[in-house]
Amino acid sequence: MTNMKRTLALLALSTLSLAAAQKTVTVGWSGAITGPTSDAGINYGAGAEDYCKYASAAGLVPGYKLNCIARDDQYINANTQRNFEDYVGNMGAPLFLGYSTGATLQLKPTIQETKTPSIMGTFHIGNIDSPNGQYVFLPISSYSEQVVSLLEYIAKKDRKAKIALVVNPSPFGRAPVDDARKAAARLGLTIVDVQEVGANNLDNTALLKRFEAAGIQYVVNQNTAGPVANILKDAQRLNLLGKIQFMGAHYTGGEDLTRLAGSAAKDFIWATSYYLSDEATQPGMILVKKIGAQFGRSAATIQSVHYTSGMTASAIAVEAIRRAAAKGAVTNLSVYDALLTFNGSKAFDPGFTVSPVIFTKTDHVGAEGLRYLQADATGNFKAISSPFKSNLFRLVHPPQ
Amino acid sequence: MPATRMSQTGNYKTTYRQDQGIFANRKELIWIVLLLVALLLAPLITPRTMLRDFDLIMIFGIAALGLNITTGYTGLINMGQGAFMGVGAYAGVVAANAFNLNLFFALLFGGLSAALIGGIVGLPSLRLKHLYLAVATLAFQEIFTWGVGHSRLLAQGGAIPAPAVSIFGFRDSFLTHNLFWYYLILPILAFLVLVWRNVLRGKHGRSLIAIRDNDRAAAAMGINPATAKLTSFMLGSFYAGVAGVLLAYFSKSVVIEDYGLDVGIKVLAMTIVGGLGSIPGSVFGPAFIIGLDRVMEQVANWLGGLNLFPSGVDVATALRPLSFGLAIMLFLMFQPHGLASWWDKLRQYVTRWPYKS
Repeated sequence: MTNMKRTLALLALSTLSLAAAQKTVTVGWSGAITGPTSDAGINYGAGAEDYCKYASAAGLVPGYKLNCIARDDQYINANTQRNFEDYVGNMGAPLFLGYSTGATLQLKPTIQETKTPSIMGTFHIGNIDSPNGQYVFLPISSYSEQVVSLLEYIAKKDRKAKIALVVNPSPFGRAPVDDARKAAARLGLTIVDVQEVGANNLDNTALLKRFEAAGIQYVVNQNTAGPVANILKDAQRLNLLGKIQFMGAHYTGGEDLTRLAGSAAKDFIWATSYYLSDEATQPGMILVKKIGAQFGRSAATIQSVHYTSGMTASAIAVEAIRRAAAKGAVTNLSVYDALLTFNGSKAFDPGFTVSPVIFTKTDHVGAEGLRYLQADATGNFKAISSPFKSNLFRLVHPPQ
Repeated sequence: MPATRMSQTGNYKTTYRQDQGIFANRKELIWIVLLLVALLLAPLITPRTMLRDFDLIMIFGIAALGLNITTGYTGLINMGQGAFMGVGAYAGVVAANAFNLNLFFALLFGGLSAALIGGIVGLPSLRLKHLYLAVATLAFQEIFTWGVGHSRLLAQGGAIPAPAVSIFGFRDSFLTHNLFWYYLILPILAFLVLVWRNVLRGKHGRSLIAIRDNDRAAAAMGINPATAKLTSFMLGSFYAGVAGVLLAYFSKSVVIEDYGLDVGIKVLAMTIVGGLGSIPGSVFGPAFIIGLDRVMEQVANWLGGLNLFPSGVDVATALRPLSFGLAIMLFLMFQPHGLASWWDKLRQYVTRWPYKS
């Protein structure tokens, strides 16, 4: 009996000391839960936080407890900077998960100074370009690559096609325009018009009539789903949906577009690197649903591609921390080195993206594989291509 | 007893010289010196993240003081203060990068550029008043945003890095960033407050107030309304420009999103909440709005942790923007003179104590 008591006491003591020995690593996300683009940000943040909590509970990083935080920065750059400072400066976070374009561009000098690996929800190619792009990583292909890949799709259909770009009036929207022009020139396509359309585009009649008059056959959007949905609804009203093919980069499509545009979303072509929620056999999607249910998320949240997108960023972070921990201490530099091991046989496949996440010292674009998806009559996006990488993108935008 | 030693309420001024003093009396001067000493010592007990908020309060305090000059003291409504901050920020940072200017020259250049543009934008104020003038300044805000977005020189609104700053051998770094800027912005704010208080006691400052109260009567007294209005716009824009340069350097780069219409509205809200036509109000307003945001952030986190709301209904995070709008509405309804009037009442109460105010 005495032995039993001693054993129990020793067991309790060792458990307590193990718990005490378990170190904590902060994984902090800062993004728009309210304010502009919060329709995507709220789900992205939920995905980032949930995956991190799931990983911590499941002990994916042995010996470490993850302190998972998702904070609303309201799409205000000063708030993002404050959150970065709190995570990295006060909580000693070895990496940072970001969201908005402007804030990321503004943070780059600080990220460089603190050598903090940062995984962003904005896929602006300028995030990883020099100067100060050394520690910034994109989870998937850039907006520019997505737009160029859509131009490649058009070129395969019709080399003489007339194209218009419709972009958001912001650095986020304008980012791919230069690369798209260069790609179009190489493909022999004609970009006839580039128009900026923001969230206040309640009537797009003039815009669409202008496109019709110019004989535009394809409209490539780099925007958020809201403005694109308004354009599609107006195109439907003007009977232009069959005459003009509408397409878009990652943030234009998905169930957000279907919900907002309704039947007008039919036939919209979308380029993204993520699997979708209704691809139920994909292991990653099974995990998304499991984690979403575990944390009591609504069906709409679990279905959102942005929820998957947030999980991807978090999964990359957790994997990098795991690899860094396996080699010794978890610091910003060891996590950075760990991210650079994501290649060859050690490429990381979280199951959420159509190709594995690959990083090298000169290539900070993770899951670069893309698919074209097209909305059917019910608004569900179905893949119309296998995963591919843009052949042209590196030629028009070499790594900087 | 000399007038300068008497309290404000019994402050009998017997000469014009006394009436034109920068400080009401010696007591006020002592209080200001004590306040400055307290502010200089504040970083010793202030957490780092809170110090960042102090820095932002001071930067927006300068912008709000500028708006107070135009709107509070002269009565010319201006919705474009965000754009004037932006003009200063872009001019200051681009010039500093191009000509290797140090921070103080960048501040001066940014301020003067904003003042120049302010003078041009102020021209409609010679013919327009009230809502019409507000719309004219709003138009300038839109033109500015569009112009920057389409200018390759200004990176189409993307980030233009500000040069690294080093003063007397002290370098701005991540670990000392907030402290460094605290001791840099505080004297600039103090200096600009002193300059405005100096202007205010003289002919030019009083002419602005006369214009606000009744421009025809002011003209009848020999004040040139056109000169006064344009001066007001230029001076207010100069302050905004300086604030813009400081914000750009503090943020390490200039990005169009920091100088949009929402920023102009925020500065206007700060000015209204602080108190139109009040120097202390220009700092109270930013302190209240930024402080409210921090408080509501904590409340939102606490409420969110309680899981009171059904999944997908994120009432907690909506509290921040909701409280911002509600605060402005309540101030306009119940305290139109802003926090500055509470400050005045408190001062009077303390001064008259134990007598009833």
